[in-house]
Amino acid sequence: MVRKILVRTFIGLVLIMLYLPIIWMIVFSFTETPSFSDWSGFSFNNYINLFSGNGPNADKIQEALLNTLFVGFFVSLLSTVLGTLGAIGLHAIHSKRVKTVYSTVNQIPMINSEIVTAIALALVFNLFAAMFKINDGSWGMTALKLILAQTTFCAPYVLLNVLPRLQKSDNKIYEAALDLGCTPAKAMFKVVIPDIMPGIIVGALLSFTLSIDDFVITKVNVTSFETLSTLLYGLKNGKHPLPADIRALFTIIFFIVFALMMILYTPKKKQEKN
Amino acid sequence: MFKKSLAIPYALFMAIFVLLPLVLVLVFAFIDASDGSFDMVTNFKELAKEQALGKVIGNSLIAGLSTSALCLLIGYPIAYYLTKTEFNKKGVMIGLFLAPMWVNFLLRMMATKAVFNVIGFKMGMGAVIFGLTYEFLPYMIMPLYNTLLKIDKCYIEGASDLGATPIRAFWKITVPLSMPGIVSGLTMVMIPSITTFAVTEIMSNGKMMLLGDFIYSLKADSLNMAAAISFILLIFMCASMIISNKYSNDSGAKGGGLW
Repeated sequence: MVRKILVRTFIGLVLIMLYLPIIWMIVFSFTETPSFSDWSGFSFNNYINLFSGNGPNADKIQEALLNTLFVGFFVSLLSTVLGTLGAIGLHAIHSKRVKTVYSTVNQIPMINSEIVTAIALALVFNLFAAMFKINDGSWGMTALKLILAQTTFCAPYVLLNVLPRLQKSDNKIYEAALDLGCTPAKAMFKVVIPDIMPGIIVGALLSFTLSIDDFVITKVNVTSFETLSTLLYGLKNGKHPLPADIRALFTIIFFIVFALMMILYTPKKKQEKN
Repeated sequence: MFKKSLAIPYALFMAIFVLLPLVLVLVFAFIDASDGSFDMVTNFKELAKEQALGKVIGNSLIAGLSTSALCLLIGYPIAYYLTKTEFNKKGVMIGLFLAPMWVNFLLRMMATKAVFNVIGFKMGMGAVIFGLTYEFLPYMIMPLYNTLLKIDKCYIEGASDLGATPIRAFWKITVPLSMPGIVSGLTMVMIPSITTFAVTEIMSNGKMMLLGDFIYSLKADSLNMAAAISFILLIFMCASMIISNKYSNDSGAKGGGLW
């Protein structure tokens, strides 16, 4: 009995440590004080300011949000296409050596230290800029750079989510489609892709989340391009690290990400049951 | 044949944006920035001259080791508890411990800093270690949980049948059998925690630097030196990967098992 209470207390304390800062932020998103300490009455003004664009950080927030969503969408799209094709190809390859090389390279971005990945990518972008005489600095070029950079660590997750689906699916249906006169490409879209769709969707959501979360690779590789992460970083030295409208913005983002994660974790629970 | 050819775009992409960058790190680490010539030692000599580096390495060792130890001490009981939870609660509990991983780490650090400001906790090494533990705890829990889950209960029952007390059975059976999880958890916490950049800066009010912050600061003056120190880090990472692979042939205990 005593042991049970001790265990529960310990688990409770760790959960408090994990959630206290976030909950504190959510609670204080409903009050307008700049600091975290004194409550100045309940109000929705932070949220109203956010949507009407009146808050003290309104311009910055709008720019950062648009940039982040734009990059996130294309990273998610590119990663999903590349990762899914990669998974289908890898699944069809029988040579053990090719398979090993493929999956090892796939692991590198996931286990490599982020700052090393970031520096390595900076070197490659410098090289390309010199080779193709690209005068890098425009918004479009910067966004492209960021999309390519983030895809390197998002696509591997898509591949890893699609591969198990392929291993479970039956290749005979694809072959039957070919026998019945489908072209390989048509059979791919009519048979294989629908079969592995759940894995593709999870991969796409995951890469979107990873992309909007990324800070290190963004900060090292692009300057003068604000995303939500770099916007937060820019506020770090202020007297109040999280001003009122920023709290409201990130409360909304927190709930979106939380909902996404619940969707991602639920199907897994069902699988375990079977 | 058609299906196999689908592997090509991804392979090309990874060759250009994953392998080529790493090759460039290797090359730039051995190129003298002043005249562009190949030189085995210049960048490393320059690194040794950096006065801040000694302190950075010292701080990184203290922060990295304390964070790993704390994550293990906190993460092991939690992983153990999670394996014992009844099925209907399990998904929720695992979700609760993993969900913070998906909230922007800068946001969590800034919120922690704001809370620390309110309760008057001093920013410094203690706050840095707290921040790093906060960020990396889920990375310790997951491999531990995956390994503990796979341990066959027969061994523990056998030990208690042969007269071992539950505590003795835990230390003699469960802990040794969970070694692969411990090693893989440590590899996922130790090097990533000291190479994370920004956590230290936020949690120490810019007074402290760990390796990650140091590399970032080098990037502005010399990419070659940043490459040189990245190269050293790569060696350490390979070493820790080889060690952790030796302990476990099961790649599921690593990132793959997270989802």
